[in-house]
Amino acid sequence: MLAAAIVVFVAMAAVPAAGAFQTQVYVWQANVAPNVANLGWDGPHNHFYNELYFGPNAGWRSEVWEVTPAGYRHFDKSCVGNCFNSHPAYYYATAFCANRDSGPHFVYECLDRW
Amino acid sequence: MSRFTLFGAAFAAALATAGLVTQFGLGGSDKVQIGDGSVSALKRAARAGDALPRSILAYPFAERNFASPDGRGSRVLSVHGSLTLFAVPGKAGMVCLIETDSIAETAGGACADRSVLKTGTIYMADRQEDGSLQVAGLVGDGHTFAEANGRRTAVENNSFLLAQVEGTDLSIGSPTATQQIDLGG
Repeated sequence: MLAAAIVVFVAMAAVPAAGAFQTQVYVWQANVAPNVANLGWDGPHNHFYNELYFGPNAGWRSEVWEVTPAGYRHFDKSCVGNCFNSHPAYYYATAFCANRDSGPHFVYECLDRW
Repeated sequence: MSRFTLFGAAFAAALATAGLVTQFGLGGSDKVQIGDGSVSALKRAARAGDALPRSILAYPFAERNFASPDGRGSRVLSVHGSLTLFAVPGKAGMVCLIETDSIAETAGGACADRSVLKTGTIYMADRQEDGSLQVAGLVGDGHTFAEANGRRTAVENNSFLLAQVEGTDLSIGSPTATQQIDLGG
């Protein structure tokens, strides 16, 4: 009986709860050169969220987007300032973010979720 | 005339010139300024439907950028079919543009320093499957139009939406002035 309970407990712990998601911070407190594509190091996933956060003084262009292993670009959003894009998890893709100003800027973080 | 008097006169003249340059905005940015960055839509009385969807408030973006974590003070700017544009007061002098599309099940946001609104727009440009851009923008008081590819749309409650934008050039303006916006590559 105890063994069965342990098996059930382990099985439940191994399966993510409904609605659970993973978050990856792929740029963390870095000076980011302009027009460099910073990509999610954890590879492609079915993302539903991608965000770039410079900080509270942002006032220049930014971009977040995703690219499938076959090279197709999706959910490409350019912004002025801090930026996020939330969408259905249609594509198995790698997340990217970029500073689109003419000079480097400190990026607090870029993060994605799947 | 003593050297001291001459120096004093020259110093006073320099100060006066500097004051004039500052007063008339000369010598600084060559960008055209419209208004003072105020957004009247954020000052109107709240209505039903002005509150942001809970899903937006659950994202880390909300806590980092909104003046209040619950998005207090948000206002609907305009509705375009299933797409709704909101303005939200931001932290540390920022103001935010938020979009939600109930059919596409998408949402997005841009928050930037309010000073951007003096010489431009806080916008989001979404690349469409056909390669064109859909551009949603927040503009300060005084702006009356946005234009791209020869198509002009009126500013509605400090916001505009332009679909099927080709290229990178956008202009926004008032009856007396126009600002050029580079949408990037």
